Amino acid sequence: MSIIVSEPVSERGRKDARRHREKQREALKDRLPEIISDEAIITHNRGKTIKIPIRSIDIPHFRPDRGEGGGRQGFGQGDGQPGDPIAERPGKGRPGEAGEEPGEDYIETEVSIEEIIELMLEDIGLPNLEEKEVKELIVEIGIKIAGLQKSGPWSLLDRRATAREGMRRFWYFFEALKKETGLDELTCFRALKQATGILGDAIEILKNNQLTLLDTKVEPFPIFTNEDLRYRKIGEETEKQSNAVLIVMMDVSGSMDDMKKYLSRSMMFWLVEFLRKVYSQVVVRFIVHHTIAKIVSEEDFFKTGENGGTFCYVAYEMANSLVETEYPTDSWNVYVWHFSDGDDSKPKRTVEELEKLIKTGVNMIGYGEVKPSTSMTGFMFNQTESSLWKLFQNSFALKEAPDNDIVMMTGEKETPLLCVRIQDRSHILPALKEFLRKDRWLQ
Amino acid sequence: MTKKELERLVEIEKRVKEIAEECGLITTEIDFELTTAQRVLEGMSYMFPVNYSHWSFGRDFEKHKTIYEHTGSGIPYEQVWNFERPKAFLVETNPFALNALILAHVYGHVDFFRGSRYLQQGRSYSNVADEARNAATRFRHYEERFGKDVEKVIDAGMSIQWHQHPDPFYEEQDEAIVRQRIIEIERAKLGRFKDFKSEFKKPDSEEEIRKIEKNLEFLSTRTPPEPNYDLLNYITKRSPKPLKPWMIDVLTVIRNQARCLNPNRLTKMIDEGWATYWHVKIIRRLHEEGLLTAEEHGTFNDFHSGVTAEHKMSFNWYRIGLALFENIKEKWDKGRFGREYEEETDAYKKAHWDTGAKLGTKKIFEVRSFYSDRMTIDEFFTDEFIREQQIYIWEELQTSDGGALYVIGEDDPESIREQLREMFTSYGIPTITIENGNNNKQGHLLLKHHWTGFDLDAQYMNATMEKIHYLWGKKVFLETMVKGKSVNVTYDYENRKNK
Repeated sequence: MSIIVSEPVSERGRKDARRHREKQREALKDRLPEIISDEAIITHNRGKTIKIPIRSIDIPHFRPDRGEGGGRQGFGQGDGQPGDPIAERPGKGRPGEAGEEPGEDYIETEVSIEEIIELMLEDIGLPNLEEKEVKELIVEIGIKIAGLQKSGPWSLLDRRATAREGMRRFWYFFEALKKETGLDELTCFRALKQATGILGDAIEILKNNQLTLLDTKVEPFPIFTNEDLRYRKIGEETEKQSNAVLIVMMDVSGSMDDMKKYLSRSMMFWLVEFLRKVYSQVVVRFIVHHTIAKIVSEEDFFKTGENGGTFCYVAYEMANSLVETEYPTDSWNVYVWHFSDGDDSKPKRTVEELEKLIKTGVNMIGYGEVKPSTSMTGFMFNQTESSLWKLFQNSFALKEAPDNDIVMMTGEKETPLLCVRIQDRSHILPALKEFLRKDRWLQ
Repeated sequence: MTKKELERLVEIEKRVKEIAEECGLITTEIDFELTTAQRVLEGMSYMFPVNYSHWSFGRDFEKHKTIYEHTGSGIPYEQVWNFERPKAFLVETNPFALNALILAHVYGHVDFFRGSRYLQQGRSYSNVADEARNAATRFRHYEERFGKDVEKVIDAGMSIQWHQHPDPFYEEQDEAIVRQRIIEIERAKLGRFKDFKSEFKKPDSEEEIRKIEKNLEFLSTRTPPEPNYDLLNYITKRSPKPLKPWMIDVLTVIRNQARCLNPNRLTKMIDEGWATYWHVKIIRRLHEEGLLTAEEHGTFNDFHSGVTAEHKMSFNWYRIGLALFENIKEKWDKGRFGREYEEETDAYKKAHWDTGAKLGTKKIFEVRSFYSDRMTIDEFFTDEFIREQQIYIWEELQTSDGGALYVIGEDDPESIREQLREMFTSYGIPTITIENGNNNKQGHLLLKHHWTGFDLDAQYMNATMEKIHYLWGKKVFLETMVKGKSVNVTYDYENRKNK
């Protein structure tokens, strides 16, 4: 018979398909700046997934240039005259509908916020994190060997540790036998060997004069009882780090137009999401301010729309009082992040409050200045930097360090102040990376 | 599938084989593996029943699977491999009539494998099936040891795997022998200067001699000695990177598989046409003999018309291939060929031409044995055939909202033949040769694109250059044309981009 019934199917197809999807994800990385600055993520899609059209990945090869959009050709069959339409592909927003159309394969894929964060997650974390007395921040870092134990699966037997225990037992029995019988070393060794390491039997052998072995040298061998077996202990490796609190503050005054608020919120949304992913127990407090500051819930923080004049110092004042009363820096790592357009009516007071905050020993103060180049209110004060920015620079001896195509400045370790200017959507990703550079202020 | 159904399938298979033999088809023992849809989809995607792991196969698998799951009723695809002992898949959940169709179709393919000189050549390389199976295991071990580098090497090898010598029967020769032959031809030129008279007659002969001698010197070290089409082979053997043994193994497997499959590419239309032509005949016989019920015959018809449906936007190999053989059979049966027929101007006489030649069967077997797809164009894609088949070329027009409109652009038979020739010559693979493996005397690689009316897709070209560079390890150059100007593209690792 030449019809044979098949063997079970392998999982190769699924596995390789997974790798292809992984590669698509990698390709997504290039589009991250565009994806994460999508306003819909923050406003409508919190905690959910977003839809992104993804191309299937091709192996590069030399191929004729068929021209982008238009100009392509192919064979077909059927009724019709030259000029007769046979199919169409709709325009923007609906790429690659199913059907007979030629072209690249598109699939619209759902990607979760978490996955996007993972794509961005490259050695980011809280800068300047210190050992504090109380540790509560749990960081998962993988699986580890967490010491030895006396029972466990055979595969986890630690041979070296077990052998060590076995040798120890030999010497222990050997000495005991000498003491018990008062006989010489060689005789005791022979008896112990003949008794295959069982002390009681060795004593019996000597008592009854049943020694038959004729070894001429004492050659120690390991003696095991169940007691001596050592197994590796596996534990989920987490690390307790010190407490951390983030105090995020946003200017919601009249000069903060929609674009500025959007940039600030995007920054803070991703910062908070990031840190919650990396540190499972980080505490986040939200403050909004115009001429007065108030502590709000997370939900309100991302929705608040107010107006009025601006005092930035009120926010820092409130941060100071929070640190003083709830998050003392001897047991807390404190991160204060503030987003504003720098349009401050009392900048000197702000600098004073900031100085105070630095003196409390907070780990980092991040100041994000949102200055869109096409801002509606921007043309009135068309300077590229605010008075606050300049004042910060002079008061704290900050160094300009343009990096990642964005404007930024930082202080020394004793003045852990980072100022970053965010002018448009494309600055969000690099600014995020600056805020979360673990190695900043590392000695 | 129940035991009873299985027994019936075995019976049908026996009868199909007998009918095939009565029809004059070459048959042999075929292993039909009754299996799951999943396995067939896997086979379609991996090119061989078992092959090494790669994401591009996974991508195709997922695509086939999605299509299958959305259409659902059965898998009308046959999977048959051109092995010493051919192997084919049958899907256990397929309707019985569909499996009968596939059995018959596979017998058509197997005859083609045995009879076509192209497919004979494809089978002769080595036992690629076993090689693929073993490669799967070896590559997995490589992956354990060398990690992601294995994928990188496979990616790079696959990116140029179809660049082979245009003549599938070309016999590879040792570089030293080729060089020797070229040098001898060049040296023969020197011979004529030995004649004193001619030297006397030609005052500039000294200079010519020097030129030839210089050329001889160049030829003595030139690698490759003549432009080489087989990119992967040359790079595998000559890369100064240097390639590690496992990399050479990976690249060799990729090349062997591509070489083995290339003859299938060259005969895709007539191969599918042939198998379709015979499954129609064989199933008809099974129905006449009462081995398939009327209902089953109906199911067969549904699948058959699905497979041979008219495609508005693509070239349906099954439909056109089948029509081609039916057309040849009829014409040669009725003697509608040769000078007398061609020169007949009376349309009525032509339409009713029948000399009772009965040469159709002989002719189609001849086509099966000796033709590639390319060779059928000039002989059988006549104006009448193209019109009858309503073949056209569509064109894409861009619309203002970024979408596209597809319209019939061309239905002139000569233009269509021209495009078919182009498609069956290059198969979308531009002609690229290796001109110099020691360019600038620094071991750089010089490639040349032989322009045939199309520029290269720039984005793909850059990415491919990067892959070649990964294998070569030194600078890679490509001579090509961009908008009518010749340019020299470089991939330079230090700058990690193309200039």
